[in-house]
Amino acid sequence: MIQHSLIKRIPCCVALLFLFSGCANLEAPATAAVAVGKAAVDSATAAGGSQFAPTEMQLASNELSGANQALAVKDYERAQVLANKAQVDANLAQGKANSAKAQAAANALQDNIRIMREELNRTTQ
Amino acid sequence: MNPSRFYLTLCIMLTAMFVNACKTIPTTTSQLEQARNSYVAAQNDPNVATYARTELKEADEAFNRANAAAINHESTDEIDNLAYVAERKIELTQEVGKQKAAEAQVAGAAKERDEILLALRTKEADQAKQSAALSQETANAAQIETQQEQIRSAQLAAELANLAAKKTERGMVVTLGDVLFGTGKAELNPKGMNTAQKLADVLKKNPERTVLIEGHTDNRGSPAHNRELSERRAAAVRDALVSMGIDANRVTIHGYGADSPVAPNNTAENRQLNRRVEIILSDENGKIS
Repeated sequence: MIQHSLIKRIPCCVALLFLFSGCANLEAPATAAVAVGKAAVDSATAAGGSQFAPTEMQLASNELSGANQALAVKDYERAQVLANKAQVDANLAQGKANSAKAQAAANALQDNIRIMREELNRTTQ
Repeated sequence: MNPSRFYLTLCIMLTAMFVNACKTIPTTTSQLEQARNSYVAAQNDPNVATYARTELKEADEAFNRANAAAINHESTDEIDNLAYVAERKIELTQEVGKQKAAEAQVAGAAKERDEILLALRTKEADQAKQSAALSQETANAAQIETQQEQIRSAQLAAELANLAAKKTERGMVVTLGDVLFGTGKAELNPKGMNTAQKLADVLKKNPERTVLIEGHTDNRGSPAHNRELSERRAAAVRDALVSMGIDANRVTIHGYGADSPVAPNNTAENRQLNRRVEIILSDENGKIS
């Protein structure tokens, strides 16, 4: 009978184990997420995010420092959420910077072509 | 409580909750709505479909997670967080689409630019060749012109030598002596007409030149008579040239009487020298200095 009730308690034990290990395991992914978020912010900064997408850059930077603070007080869930937000905001800032730069290059080239075409038409006449 | 009964009860409760959840509409938040609007915009953006497939897949997954959280009635915070991430990822697809489209444009434009550059270079080379050919032609023409000019002036010099013309400060001067006129008369004798004919031939070959005909006498007789005689002799030469086909506009006459002797009027020979008609030939521009 004792053995029987023990067997029946196994799921409870497993559940408890999961709960504890779950809590303990939140630290590692949160730390990783913050690292990824920081890398994204750094990369966006290097790409000129502050110049081309200041709003997103500011958000990302605030979220990253929030994530670090949460990490310091062991609020891993919040750290994870803020790090994720910092990452997507930084990625968006970088995307905006890249598209703005590509567009500027395209415009410059178009201007160049326009001038050369005028030159060609002028010398043809 | 019997443990098996406890599990049964738990099962029933969970099932009831699950069924209940299915019946209600999913929770929504303004953040999720915003993500949905962005999603529609991204789906309607042709650049996203063409250039941002990978990013769109990631955005799709994030969007699905947010929607699943809404259907499962997870906490508003949880839904908002997922929707926030999804919304940013969706926006990123459009930025990547814009970037790639601009890059493709640059690649195409670079080709176009090279073509125009080539056309410009070709045009420049053609023009250089043309202008080189043109300047060569001009040089040739100028050379031919110079040669012809030289031939013409050589011919003129020969013809004028034939007329015993003298080169003076005023230009080439042909002097018709007294002997070419009848004594005391203003008509040219046959020898004078012959000289006039030679002069007319020179003028015909050099249509840009004009002549000034000046009549002179010695100092015998009244000045008025002398002036009139000198003018009539000059006019006689003009009339002869005109009758030989020279335009009267090219001939100017003047009678000086005895005012411009070439020798003192003290001997018969000198007086004969002074009775003369001088014909001054202009330069090639029709000017007589």
